[in-house]
Amino acid sequence: MQADLFKISRGEKRWIVIIIVFIALLWCLPIYSVITNSLKFAGFSNYTYVLSHPVQNVPFPSFFVNSFICAIGSSSLCVFISAMSGFAFSKIRFTGHKFLFNIVLMCLAVSGPIMLVPFYYILKAIGLYNTYLAVILPEVVMTLPFGVLMMRNFFDGLPNEMMESANLDGANMWKVFSRVYLPLAKPALINLCVLQIMWSFQDFLLPLMFLTSPKLYTATVAVNAFKGVYGVTAANLGRYNAALVLIGLPSVLVFVFAQKYIVNGITTGAIKD
Amino acid sequence: MAMRRVGRVKGITERKHNLVGYMFLSPLILVFSVFLLYSFYFLIRYSTTHMVIASPDVTPAGFSNYALVLSDRKFWTALLNTFLVSGADIFVGLTLGFLVSVLLSFKFRGRKFFHSLFFIPSMLPIAFIAAVFSSMLEYREGTLNNVFRFFRLDFLAQRWLSEPGLALFSVMSVAIYLIGIPIMYYIADLTTINSSVFEAAIIDGAGFWRLARFILYPLLKNAHKTIALSMLLGGFRQMERVYLMTDGGPGGATEIFGTYIYRMIRSPGSDYGIVSAAAVLILIIAFILAAVQMRFFRKKGG
Repeated sequence: MQADLFKISRGEKRWIVIIIVFIALLWCLPIYSVITNSLKFAGFSNYTYVLSHPVQNVPFPSFFVNSFICAIGSSSLCVFISAMSGFAFSKIRFTGHKFLFNIVLMCLAVSGPIMLVPFYYILKAIGLYNTYLAVILPEVVMTLPFGVLMMRNFFDGLPNEMMESANLDGANMWKVFSRVYLPLAKPALINLCVLQIMWSFQDFLLPLMFLTSPKLYTATVAVNAFKGVYGVTAANLGRYNAALVLIGLPSVLVFVFAQKYIVNGITTGAIKD
Repeated sequence: MAMRRVGRVKGITERKHNLVGYMFLSPLILVFSVFLLYSFYFLIRYSTTHMVIASPDVTPAGFSNYALVLSDRKFWTALLNTFLVSGADIFVGLTLGFLVSVLLSFKFRGRKFFHSLFFIPSMLPIAFIAAVFSSMLEYREGTLNNVFRFFRLDFLAQRWLSEPGLALFSVMSVAIYLIGIPIMYYIADLTTINSSVFEAAIIDGAGFWRLARFILYPLLKNAHKTIALSMLLGGFRQMERVYLMTDGGPGGATEIFGTYIYRMIRSPGSDYGIVSAAAVLILIIAFILAAVQMRFFRKKGG
């Protein structure tokens, strides 16, 4: 890590540490809250209860499997499409290039809630409603504007030489893309992949709307189901919170293993021109 | 070759590769046409009709759906609240987020630990954070009120989620937990700052606070803008934060666009024509915001 940005006195440094610790303590209150609540009345048996009792006839771990399937599906599709389009916008000249890119940028403004009704009809029409793809495809659509922007920014940082030979035709262009540029873009691809896995894990609205059978529920939708199943009675408070802790764990694990990629990814996707 | 050419392929003399270009874009165009273009068409077309999910009949409605939405007080409350919630996120990000980033740029023991601590909540599903906050802020058993009672500050123990004046404030308070992303942008930008800028100021005798406020803060303009844009547009995407904390209550006081639309869709016998009209209006607002912000960025880039 780099050295301090500017020099400050020892006293000031002590203040910095005190302030950070104070903010961190406030910060820990929700964490403290969920953990103590999760142990209420029955201690650790709350956890074993949640893990061993099916919710609406679905065993708890399968919610994670569902989340995982959606995350892998949407992130691979998203990376594939973003890489190809980001490359095209950065390195290939074609008519309507600028116009199309601006449309993609504008689509950053499209948000999930307002698309629910049309997505519902589209998914029904193509027969994908209440399947994993009903979550995967809309998730991909919602991330693509960011993904394309991020990949274009990355390809802009790579040299153009390979693109400049006069006799580039389609087949050659594909070779250049897949053999030269794609391997060079590996860090960005991993970033985008990790980010989309994370966002897919976080997604709540799309699985809530488009998955109707409990056996397909993802972990976040299960939070909502728990609210109904475990109610708000005192005895169930502990189980509900234990379920919450278990739901939060995978995201924390993804973070621990992928911190570097997440940070790089989000900052590469910042809008610049 | 002295300099490697980096960047977008430019120049009018170069040959165009229309076919190849569109071939590379075909997956994007396919997905966007099916899901976005068609959705826009769908929303605009059906926003002028009555359409109930149970029956196949679609009857024309003219612009009455728009009139209905625009005269709905809840729509305007939702608009205001969406901006207030995003505003809180932006404000907290630009102040607390900035402060923590600057503090974390100094070396001290445990810095990495604190960095992770502040960032981890941004990784968690907002559904999870909202659920945790709602049980923490609960009146009788909630941890916050218990802490107040423990310190004999009973008068501070409030009905955080059901008091009309407090509920929105409670929803906004989640912002404190979402400073991970701002911190990340700031730290990325801080590493690019040339520290020689500060030497003159230090010789001048400016202390930490003045350096941070008057020199560092203006230097991070780009990070401020990125954070503001992403959080503003993020506000339009939110739904679970309010849904799981107050469910728009009490009496619609905390409704945001996300829950407003969701409630319309889920209400029995709902008219999707009206939902479409509301969606078109929200989409227009979001597009205008995005366009304004984008222009803002463009200009800065030169």
